[in-house]
Amino acid sequence: MEAITTFVSQTVLYATVYTLVALGILIGGRAGIFIIFGEGILLTSASTGLIVASSTQNWFLGFLMGAFVGGAAGLAFIYLHETYKVNQFLLGIIFFILGAGLSDLIYKLVIGVTLTPPLAPPTPVVGGKILSELPILSGFLHQSVVVYFMYAAILIAWWFYYGTKVGLETRAIGENPKVADMVGVNVTLRRYLVTIIGSILIGIAGAYLAIVVIKTYASGMGGGRGFMAIGITIFASWKPQRALVGGLLFAAVEVFSFTLQIAAKNFPYQLALMMPFLAVLLIMMIFKKRIEFPASVGDPYSRE
Amino acid sequence: MALALGAKSSAQSWGARTLSRALPGIKVYGLALSVSFGVIAAISAALGYSVPEVLRTLVFSSFRSYAGLKSTIKISIPLLFTTYAFFIPAKMRFYNCGAWGQMLFGGAMTAVVALLLADWNLPSVVLIPLLVITAILAGGAFALIAGYLKADYDINPIVSTIMLNYVAIQCVGFFCTARGFLDPTGGHPQTKLLPSSAALGFVGGIPYSFLLAALTVLVVSVLINRTRLGYEINAIGYNPVAAQSYGIDFRRTLLLTFFFGGALAGLGGGLEVMNIHNRLLVGFADISGLELGALGILATLVVGENPMAVPVSCFLMSVLLVGADRLQRTMQVPVELVFLLQAMIVLLIVITRAKLSAKR
Repeated sequence: MEAITTFVSQTVLYATVYTLVALGILIGGRAGIFIIFGEGILLTSASTGLIVASSTQNWFLGFLMGAFVGGAAGLAFIYLHETYKVNQFLLGIIFFILGAGLSDLIYKLVIGVTLTPPLAPPTPVVGGKILSELPILSGFLHQSVVVYFMYAAILIAWWFYYGTKVGLETRAIGENPKVADMVGVNVTLRRYLVTIIGSILIGIAGAYLAIVVIKTYASGMGGGRGFMAIGITIFASWKPQRALVGGLLFAAVEVFSFTLQIAAKNFPYQLALMMPFLAVLLIMMIFKKRIEFPASVGDPYSRE
Repeated sequence: MALALGAKSSAQSWGARTLSRALPGIKVYGLALSVSFGVIAAISAALGYSVPEVLRTLVFSSFRSYAGLKSTIKISIPLLFTTYAFFIPAKMRFYNCGAWGQMLFGGAMTAVVALLLADWNLPSVVLIPLLVITAILAGGAFALIAGYLKADYDINPIVSTIMLNYVAIQCVGFFCTARGFLDPTGGHPQTKLLPSSAALGFVGGIPYSFLLAALTVLVVSVLINRTRLGYEINAIGYNPVAAQSYGIDFRRTLLLTFFFGGALAGLGGGLEVMNIHNRLLVGFADISGLELGALGILATLVVGENPMAVPVSCFLMSVLLVGADRLQRTMQVPVELVFLLQAMIVLLIVITRAKLSAKR
């Protein structure tokens, strides 16, 4: 029972990264913007978030920094896309490369090469004695406040898309921007908003990865999770509530691969580390045929 | 201004016509280069480095000494292969971000075959062609996975190729530490040395693989401009729906394109393993991989459409890389600053180009 609870707890710890990134990508995709550069934001906000958090010893400022970096990247992206109609995928690839370079550059310039890496301050943990002693459930509940933020974000997104008129309109942009425009939705403004909000969520995920999960920064620490999250959105059929399921699933595979790496001495650990990436491809293959994709995702929109 | 010149050009001299044709290009590259170098100068000034010294080191390190030129060419060769690996599928608007993984897999398989055949003592005449073919097939097959995932499951190649990159990294680690391959004396996981007959050798410090790179430039430009496959690639890139209704087999073209792109990246990796490292090492994933994969994308976006311009852009990217290395060693400027410069140049080029084409 103890082992299962630890496994669940670890899974939820990692699932928060996956789910927040997937939710960010999903929010953009619902209005037709494919945030393919999630990995770039993840890296940059991880490095900047950690620097701020460890130098001020205030976890909240670190998360604010991560959110700010994400929002700025999203704003730059959507501005270039909407103004110059640059292909989203090309622009996304360049943004990813920029983010990968920028994260290491900022870290090297501010921290430099040190013997002991800067450590992140602890984040407050929800749950007293009762919550932490529940078997299995404590894995979900006895967690950092950021995990609760992720639960709340999923709930709000679910309510927004399926319970409000504005949410319905925003979904309509993803399906057919022309029709949405005709009924009086300001497509450009909405696309700005969703990209910025989505990128902020990814930025928070990056700060969480550095501050809560790894507790320091390492070059390339995103480990492809920004791209794996795209697999989750596809698994989730671009529905927020299912993104949580996908995040838990992928995190479980990742945690399992760590466990396998330690437990099975004769099993080549490289094969274990390959598993999450192969799982993404496999899950996309299985679910690709039966998902609904927002029809306009990736296309630029102009009125004429 | 370009338009005004173009309209009058029929009555004008050859010089004016050439100028009007070159003007958009000058605008695109001039703006991108001046803005990005300006930003880099500002950043280095803010960080307290001497700006003229930074810029001089960055641009002229390759040309000040023969050693600088040699290392520039040495980097250009694998970069050329990863650039074409992105360039060819990008012609049909599919973005192969897996040149990194294809290169690593091609290199890993080359090392595996060379080590398995080590006891046979094959002469170079047999071994080298065999290894080159291995590298080509391995890289191509690895890229074909992404091709099939796109063709049969409609999975975005950007996602699938990047997932496969991470798989390839672990493959390199696996073969480096596999029983029978591992070199127990190495500090880092690495295989034993490949048989000496697997090395192509150097001429005046430049690896012989530049011959294969030159051949590749020719083959690719013939492929793109003169063959049916090249025509089909261009047609699909221009308008996939129209291309299909004119009877172009989308699936076949897609798979061939991915195979071709991956084969070139694999060849690049194989040549690196055979000639530069003489073994497979875990560091191959970092030293050669990431940088070259991402730079290949950037080098492609610099040139846009013309395959013959790829060597030029690869060479210029390598000039900046050599400059970056020198900057780090002499002035302790982080190499990432130059990486940022390269990405920024490309971003500006892409934006200016989009802006110009929107005006027309």
